[in-house]
Formats: sequence, C-alpha cells, structure tokens
Amino acid sequence: MTATREIVTDQREQFAFHDDIAYLRETKRGLTRATVEEISGFKEEPDWMLQYRLRAYEHFLKRPIPTWTDGLDKIDFDKIVYYRKPSEREEKSWDDVPEQIKATFERLGIPEAERKFLAGVGAQYDSEVVYHSVKEELTKLGVVFMGTDQALKEYPEIFRRHFGTVVPAEDNKFSALNAAVWSGGSFVYVPKGVEVPLPLQAYFRINGENTGQFERTLIVVDEGAKVHYIEGCTAPIYATESLHVAVVEVVALPGSKVRYTTIQNWSNDVYNLVTKRAHAYENSTVEWIDANTGSRKTVKFPAIYLRGEGATADIISVAVAGKGQHQDTGAKAVHLAPNTRSRIVSKSVSKDGGRASYRGHLKVSPGATNVVASVRCDALMLDDISRSDTYPYIDIQEDDTSMTHEATVGKVSAEQVFYLMSRGLTENEATNLIVQGFLEVFTKELPMEYAIEFNRLVKLEMEGSLG
Amino acid sequence: MTVASPRPRPARRVATDLPFSFADRGLAKALAAERSEPDWLRAERIAALEAFEALPLEPNQLYTTYLDLRNAELMTARPYLKTASVPNAIASTKLPDGVAGLIDLREDGVAGLVLEPAAVAAGVILETFGQALARDPDGLRTQLEGGAGLPDDDKLAALVRGFWSQGVRLQIPAGVRLERPIVIRWAAGMPDRALIGRTIITVGDGADASIVEELTASGPAIACAAGETVPQALLAGTLEVTLGRDAKLAVASLQELPAGTIAFQHRHAVIGEGASLHWALAQLGSRLVRSRVDNRLEGDRSSVEQVEIVFGGEDQLFDLTSYTRHIGRDTTGNLLSKGALLDRARSFMKGMIVIDRSAVGTDSFLGEFGMNLSKATRSVAIPSLEIDQPDCRRAAHASSVGPIDESQLFYLESRGIPPDEARKFIVLGFLEPVVARVPLASAQDRLRVLLEAKWDAGIGAGAGNDAAA
Repeated sequence: MTATREIVTDQREQFAFHDDIAYLRETKRGLTRATVEEISGFKEEPDWMLQYRLRAYEHFLKRPIPTWTDGLDKIDFDKIVYYRKPSEREEKSWDDVPEQIKATFERLGIPEAERKFLAGVGAQYDSEVVYHSVKEELTKLGVVFMGTDQALKEYPEIFRRHFGTVVPAEDNKFSALNAAVWSGGSFVYVPKGVEVPLPLQAYFRINGENTGQFERTLIVVDEGAKVHYIEGCTAPIYATESLHVAVVEVVALPGSKVRYTTIQNWSNDVYNLVTKRAHAYENSTVEWIDANTGSRKTVKFPAIYLRGEGATADIISVAVAGKGQHQDTGAKAVHLAPNTRSRIVSKSVSKDGGRASYRGHLKVSPGATNVVASVRCDALMLDDISRSDTYPYIDIQEDDTSMTHEATVGKVSAEQVFYLMSRGLTENEATNLIVQGFLEVFTKELPMEYAIEFNRLVKLEMEGSLG
Repeated sequence: MTVASPRPRPARRVATDLPFSFADRGLAKALAAERSEPDWLRAERIAALEAFEALPLEPNQLYTTYLDLRNAELMTARPYLKTASVPNAIASTKLPDGVAGLIDLREDGVAGLVLEPAAVAAGVILETFGQALARDPDGLRTQLEGGAGLPDDDKLAALVRGFWSQGVRLQIPAGVRLERPIVIRWAAGMPDRALIGRTIITVGDGADASIVEELTASGPAIACAAGETVPQALLAGTLEVTLGRDAKLAVASLQELPAGTIAFQHRHAVIGEGASLHWALAQLGSRLVRSRVDNRLEGDRSSVEQVEIVFGGEDQLFDLTSYTRHIGRDTTGNLLSKGALLDRARSFMKGMIVIDRSAVGTDSFLGEFGMNLSKATRSVAIPSLEIDQPDCRRAAHASSVGPIDESQLFYLESRGIPPDEARKFIVLGFLEPVVARVPLASAQDRLRVLLEAKWDAGIGAGAGNDAAA
C-alpha cells in the first residue's frame, strides 16, 4: 500500500481563539450580596427578581458542595467574574453587531448556519445576548424567541408564571448559584397549536478568562405546539478554571412536542454544571438529545418529570471523556402520572485516562399506573487507563410498571479493527469509524449539519488517542 | 377497628439515626472482662469501637439516600454479657440426617455442637471462639485482629467486630471433601435481646464443602396485650470466608427470623486462585434486614455465583448491598438478586461491580429483578459498575421490575390451572433459583413451605390481587 492517507488534522484551533473585547460593564471577581444587587441593578430588573436572586444567593451559601461526585471542591468561586456585558443592547440585525464580535461568529460559522436552515439565532457572547434574529414568519406565528433578560421586560406575565417552577432555586447548590447571578440565555414561547417549522438555535461560547456563564433558558410550549431547540457551544482554551452553571427549564403543556438538542464542547478547563429539567403535561412529548465532548468536568442529568397522563419522555445522552476529563452525565425520568412512557439511551466513550460516568434515575411514583420505561447504557473504553462507571437508580413504587434496564461495557473489538484495516483503512480510521458507529444512535437524531459537526468533533477528540 | 395506642410513642427518629444504644466503651470492656480475654483481644474490641464511632452509617455516597433504619427500635436492647461458649451436653446433641456437622447458637450460648467422626478424622475443626482461644489463640488472633475478614469502611461491621459475644470457627483442611453440609444455626428474636456473632470459615487448597446457615427464632412467638408492642430483637452476624487455591464452597442461607427482629448481616469472602464460591441466600423474615456481601476475587480464575431472593410482606424492609471486586485475571462473577414484594414491603437492592485494572479477562454479570405484587410496595434497584479494565469477556448488568407476566398467566390458565394457583406458581417459580441451590433436602423443603405459607398469608390479606382487580 503506497498511497499516503490524509491524516486527521487537529481542527481545535479553529475553535480556540480569544478576542480582546472591551467589556462595557463587569462585576468584581467573587460573589457577595452586593454582586447580586449590582447585577440586578445593571439590568434594571423588577424588585421581585432582585428578591428572588437574593434568596437564591442565601441558599447557595447554605448548601454544601456535593461530594457524590469528586473535584467540585476545586472550584474557586472567588476567582470568577459573575457578570460581563460586552455591548450595550440587543442587536436587531446582523449588520448592527460590532465587527469584532461578528468576526468571531464568522469563524464559528453562524451566519451560514442561519442562512442554510436555522430559523433564528440567539448567540450568547459572554454574559449577554448580543445578537438575535427571529425570522418574520415566526414573529407572525406569534413565536417569541429572545434573550431571557429581554423576555423578563417584554413578557413579564408569562415569564413570571413559569420562571423557577421547573428548577427551583433551592433544587441544588448550582441551581441556586444560577438563580442568584443568571444572565442571558434564551426564552422561547410557542403559542397554542403552532408548529415551528425549523429548529431554533442558540450558540454559546465563553470568552474571557475566568468568565462565568450563568445563562438561564426558559422554554414554554403551549398546548398542541411543536418546537425543536438546538444549543451548541465552543470555547477558547485557557489554563485556569472556568465555570459554566446553567439552568434550563422546559414546560411542555398538554399535547405539545419539544425536542432540545445540545452539543457541548467547552474547552477542557471548564466546569460545566447544568441543571436541565422539563415538565411534561398530558400527552406531551419531551426529548433531550444531549452530547458532551468538552469540558474538564460536566455534571448534567437532563430530567423529565412526567406530570400528565399519557406523556412521553425520550432521552439520548452521549459522552466522550478524554485526557483529564470526567463526564458525569446521564438522565432522569420521574413518572408522576398514569400511562406515561420513558426511554433512556446512553452511550459513552472513555479514553486517554478520561472517565465517563452514567448516572441515571428512573422513578415511578405511587399513582403512576401502567408505566412503561426502559434504560439502555453502553460504554466503550478505548484503553485500560480510562474508566467507565454506571450508576443507575431505579425506584418503582407501583405494581404494574414494566421497566427494563440493560448496561454493557466493552472495548473496540480487535476483529472489527482488523477487518476494516484489511479493507484499507488505517488503525486510526478504523477505530474512528467504529466509535462513530457506536454513537450513531445520537448522530442520526441531529440535523445534517450538526451531525457533520459532531462527527468532526469526535474525530478531533480521537486525535492523539491513537498512535 | 384499630385504636390509637395509649402508650406514649418513642421520640421520632430520622432515617439515619442509630436505632440502638448499647455500643459503648463500657460494654466492650465488660465483654472482654467477663470472658477474661487476652489483652490483644481487649485492644481489638476497643479499636473496633473507635472505628465504629468514626464511621458513617452508609460508607458509599451512592447509596446514602436509600438508608432507612426507622423500622428498627432497639434503644433498650442489650446483649448477654455472659454466654456459655461450650454446650453442657455435647454428647446428647444428635446429628440430623444428611448433615456432616451442626452448631446451634442462641442468645445465651451454644445449644449444640457436633461433627461426624469422619470429618473429625479428616481434620475438620468446628468450634466456638471460646474453644479456639484455648486451643489455637495465635490462629484466632490472626483472624480477628484488625478485622481483616470484614469491610473496614462499614460501621455495622465494626459494631460486630467490637461487640461480638459468640463466634463460630470452621476450618476445612486442604484436600478434604465433605459430601454432606455443615449446618450453622443462629437462633434469635428474644425481645430486647441483641445477639452479635461471627462465623469465620477457612477452606483449604483443593477442599470442597457446603454450609447451610439457618437464621431462625430462638423461642415461640410472643403475644402481647392489645395496644402494646413487643420490644424488638437484634441479630448482627457475619460470615467471613477465605477460600484457598482451587477450593470450593457452597453457602445456603435461610433467613426466617421472627417479625420483630432486626438483622444486620455481613458476608465477606476472599476467593483464591481457581477457587469458586456459591451463595444461595433467601431472605424471608425480620422487620428490617440490612445486609452487605463483599466478594473479593483475588486469585486468577476465581469465581463467585451469588443468588439472592427476597420475599417480603407487611412492613418489611430489605436493604441489601453487594460488592464484587474483580482483582485477579480471568475471574468470573455471576450475581442475581430477585425480589417479590407483597403488602407494603420494600426492597433496596444495591449492587456494585468493580473491575480493577489488574482484572484482565473478567466475565461479570449483575442482575436485579423485582416483582411488585401490591400497590404499596417499593422496589429500588441500583446495579452499578465501576470499570478500569476494558479487556473483559463480559461486563454487564440488567434489571427489570414488572408485574406477573400476563402471557404466562394465560398459558397456565389455558392448562386448566385456576388464576390464583397460576399466580402462585409464577411467583414461586420466580424465586425458585435459590431453592434449587440449597444443598440439603430438608432445608430445601422447609424453604418451599415457608415461601408457600408467605404467599398464602399475603393473598389472605388481599394483596396480590390488584393485577386482577
């Protein structure tokens, strides 16, 4: 064999850049009561929100650092800047976005993505939404897609009715932190019976060393409506810790259908601690499609509370843990109503000393009769310095539940690699192909462009893991 | 029909409060003094007490939310300080049919101890700790000091280490094969009485033996005036097993303690090269069982099979943890837990398989299956894996919880079996894997009778019919 094969090039630098931005406003490092008041003041918020933030702050101080997962005690909360504002107001059109920020987004490919098939773009640059566009047809349909801060001002009624009802500030230490200092994020409201024809997308990235990202996303899908929301992120690589603590709340009202897709690719110094939860009412369907390839440590268990009869939950969770990474991810389905269904599929890959943990919770409460639930977790380990854990919690309190759970852990089979190599692939390519095939259950759920990007990310992650 | 108790209720405890109060320095010293124990043993008790005081009730953070000791109310329970370590009338103890040896222990001492002459001739030793202290103090010291045969992170294991009042030691020398099982019987359940005992078993290289452990009532059921409650009893026991090279051991346990008994159990096995261990554990009795099994597959090609069933009713809670650690090469672990629950019974099945980096070629399977037969039951399954070595034959777990399978029911009914009978067959069939593994015919029969009686009692109380209703 003489033909030299194209070696996978490391495209990481494409995502790893850092622009010098003149921040218009920022808080001092560290978190005090004054920081919280200052953030609320910058935003000219109503008093109830300030009070909410302060209560959450008090709760954050009270809660201990969780010890069921390791390493969270290494976060230095005093080093973090909790609020930064790069430009004065929300931009209505792409032309109004400052040149430097625009250049950043050009590199991330946002405008193309928008032109090609995205209905709206909510791009978060540090702690504020700087660019937002909603196609006119969506506005006509009555769909609201804007920054969460703006929604608090423009749609106070619907905002206040749902904000913090799915993930209370007191839920955990990090939901309390988010509630105290949240900034940015997306707000989506889809009116009754409206089907949003194209996915809505928000593109997040962290810029600025030690900048916290504390976005808050609230999605309310009214009766019989349908929407697909996509969130992806990239971030520059820095040597010191960064912290991303987000809260995502989804309210799926009766008969609605919501799909929420995430591709998480934070740089390998970020602590990514996210509370994501949906309430699914009668006959609604909620789907979390969640992939985690980046960050130093991710702790995220997308949850669905099946509150209404006939609701359906579908969660696909994918994690790739490389050198120095711990992906502590999984899923939760809590059945609170009769005739509800849930399906959880988890796939993880660990390599180069990385650790992938699946942590899941499946609960059937008293009164939730005739539940059907299934959990499937598969883990692939590419070497013996890596680690794979499975921690499923199954708690059944009814007598007619049908629940199955299966988990397997294995390595890439030498036979498969040998076969592919006999067909002319290099070992690197063969392994890559096998890993991509292993993760296909996730990839096939993505819009095409995202599937391509995700496969490229996996390829990138695989770089350096093979000789 | 029920009238509120006129008796003042005891102070409400939270789920993690210790339900007993006897474990203090005074008792540890008194136990040592009463038995005239050597200094090393007194020091060992004190060391264990200190470990007990320092350790949390649940060492594993994964399981802290599934800890509930509120079924236990043992604040007034005490162990006997003085127990008879040698039965008065050994000669009169008859060896039951089909058994190679028997030791019978109760709260106040040893009630019987007998070993067949052939086993004695082969060098098998079955003795109490009291006898071992006189005969082989150094050997016993090696086994007890530092609590090597027990998990060092477990508060209740440290409790037994510090406060045991009785002990059984069984040694099967290398190469000895016992055709018939040895029966170890612990009888407990006397109100306000704690029985804390240890069993240490050593199986030498190439030896082959089987054990039937019977956990049973020490006296007739105690009736009480209306509105009064009978004080609870405690049985805290261990089974500490070491298997030499190519040794084989089968252990069947039948737990049918009275309804007012709380049971803390530790089973800890170190399995040597090529050795194999089989557990068949049946949990039927007690108000609350908190059990932990540790299997350490240290030797290459060692294997463990663990089959455990729970048949719970009324307000019983079965809190069962099982740790299996693969350390040697080409080891095999096959673990199966099954629970059928009636009334308001609960079961927490926590299984953890750890595959160390050294454990190349592991084959490991963990299955946890539940059948909730009434609406107020609760089944929790946490089958966990922690894997550092991907080069394995198999590393998998599976779990399911479901009602009685309608298609099985339909099939049996189509064969002319009445619905109630068919349901019983299906549930007892679900629990059969343990029954079939009991190596003693009489114990097997007894287990079948107990399972059937429990089913009939549950059905009589109206449970189990929800599916048909």
